[in-house]
Amino acid sequence: MGDLDLSGAFSGITTDALLEALFLIVLASIVIMLAQNLLPRVAHTLGGKPRLYLLASVPLLRLVVIVATIIFVVPVLVEPSFENMVAIFGALALALGFAFKDYANSLIAGIVTLYEMPYRPGDWIEVNGQYGEVKSIGTRSAEIVTPDDDVVIIPHSTLWTALIANGNDGTDNLMCVTEFHVEPHHEVSAVLSLLRDMAYTSPWVKTWQPVSVTVRNTPYGMQYKVKAYPLAPREQFRFITDLTARGTEALASEGVRMVSVPVAAV
Amino acid sequence: MAKVAEKQVVHPQLPGGLIPLEEWRLPETSVHRSVKDAIRNAWTQVTTGLSPDDEAFESLDDLPMLSRGQIERFAPDPDYGRIASLLLASVADSQGNNPVSFLVAPPFSGIRKALEVLADDDAAGVRNLIMPPENLLLSDSDASEWWDACDLSTPWVIPELASFWLRHRSGLALVRELLRRVAANEVGDGLIGCSSWCWQFWSYYLPDARFQPLTPAPMDSGKLGLWLGGLAAPASDSGVVARMADTGLWVLPSDPDALGEGNKTANFLRDLAALSRGIPGVALGIWQKALRARPEEEKLESKEQGERQSVRAHCWVAPLNKLSLPVVPSSSGRGLEFILHALLLHDGLGSDRLELVTGMKGHEVAPALNRLLRADLVEYHESDGVWRVTPLGYPAIRRQLQSDGFPVDAF
Repeated sequence: MGDLDLSGAFSGITTDALLEALFLIVLASIVIMLAQNLLPRVAHTLGGKPRLYLLASVPLLRLVVIVATIIFVVPVLVEPSFENMVAIFGALALALGFAFKDYANSLIAGIVTLYEMPYRPGDWIEVNGQYGEVKSIGTRSAEIVTPDDDVVIIPHSTLWTALIANGNDGTDNLMCVTEFHVEPHHEVSAVLSLLRDMAYTSPWVKTWQPVSVTVRNTPYGMQYKVKAYPLAPREQFRFITDLTARGTEALASEGVRMVSVPVAAV
Repeated sequence: MAKVAEKQVVHPQLPGGLIPLEEWRLPETSVHRSVKDAIRNAWTQVTTGLSPDDEAFESLDDLPMLSRGQIERFAPDPDYGRIASLLLASVADSQGNNPVSFLVAPPFSGIRKALEVLADDDAAGVRNLIMPPENLLLSDSDASEWWDACDLSTPWVIPELASFWLRHRSGLALVRELLRRVAANEVGDGLIGCSSWCWQFWSYYLPDARFQPLTPAPMDSGKLGLWLGGLAAPASDSGVVARMADTGLWVLPSDPDALGEGNKTANFLRDLAALSRGIPGVALGIWQKALRARPEEEKLESKEQGERQSVRAHCWVAPLNKLSLPVVPSSSGRGLEFILHALLLHDGLGSDRLELVTGMKGHEVAPALNRLLRADLVEYHESDGVWRVTPLGYPAIRRQLQSDGFPVDAF
């Protein structure tokens, strides 16, 4: 094995080679930018699974472009011999290790997310108390948009330590839970049946997914939970609103009164 | 059951007869056609809204379309009386232990009209027609009383079960009680027609209910050729002759034995069967729009009226890619889709009931209906005061609802 000479590895770089490499990098950046802007726009005109697949393809496409760019650019700048590669990547690793440890951590976690896929664009996730839809997965971080339209940046390195709850996990099935707290002293089976009918007749519900209603006693009354799936995950809040409105109306029509938790107990 | 199908395959009015629901298969088409349609549909979905004028039906060729009189001659509506008697015979052959038979079919299959004729037919006079009450929002006890008051001891028929319920928490009682009575064998000899969309909802709502419904066999290219040829048969002694306007290939008669030597058949019927999802009413709607006349034939039409054809009636057929079928307009909300889905679930609804089942307000429903009307996707039926989807719009509507995550039928 010869000497690992970093300056020797770059000694053959010419102006033409630099321009060619620059051109490839700019080209790759344009392709990535187009993919990140156009594909989500097209995806939003679609519904159901095609939308999810198209969104999920964006980070994968970016990875493919980055890898392809590296494969094309490196031979342009240096002779791809074993010694040169070891010298370049060794120096790179040293620099990253000292100067950009956290950044490199996120980069590596970002690559892990691409094949482990704990979340994808279009997924509804909760990380460290922040809940929202994954809008994009970048090289270092993921962006989620909360129901209140706040953009939250989550570094991929969070993946190593935080608990990540994924509501739909790459599918378009996301269960919603609507709660009703009512006074006791009523016919429980009738209310169970009433709430099930109420959920089945909501135009927002996926009827082929199970609709279930549970009940339990609490110190302040009976707690009913209606569990059902909306037509699309992004419609979960309108779905819960619809079920809450319909359920409240249905319970009132049957003379079942709602209860409130005393302020002191909250 | 296979014997039933074999016996009825000879009837052009009901080719293939009745089959069990689980045996129904979507007519196949070529890979080339499937890929082409998939790309076209994806493109339509992405570009919908960019050119709103293209939403309605449009003919993209220059040949004159058929006049009303010519359509009556070449592609008239089927004889529902004949279909009704064939349905009755087929049901009688396949009836098991349960005295009540369910006929489940996609919209525009003609089952509803046939069963209504069956009940109206004085000569047959064997079925008591059960019609829904004016108010469908009933409690369980009211629904039970209503069915008690109906005479279900003599043979009875319900042309469309979808008319007996509303997608509202108080609108389920009538059908729930009827299905309970059918399952408990508490009703007499009955025949229930049901839209496939309505059936799908109730299959999910009552997952343990199993009634072994029958359905008309899907119209594949062979059955479609037989059926379309049979429709025109009464107006023309020798049947109708139809050829492709662009290639001259033969469409009808579809039977190779009936064609002269060297005459090649087109793939039109195979593509039409796939496009219409094997549903006769949808296929007939597209067929009527695809038929073309030569200009001189149009002029001669008045002379021919009243005279019985002694020779084969001749017409031309525009290729399917020259027909721009209606598309579902783009919308930022779910309103249009809620309305279309509700119309399919209930086989037609009035505006007031649409508000009830969709949860939309009157000022939202009226503009949405108007937009769908302009796109040729719905039409108002004055006879019973309800809005229904159009046969030409049905393929696009089903595709759009499925793509947007709505529960769709199995057909």
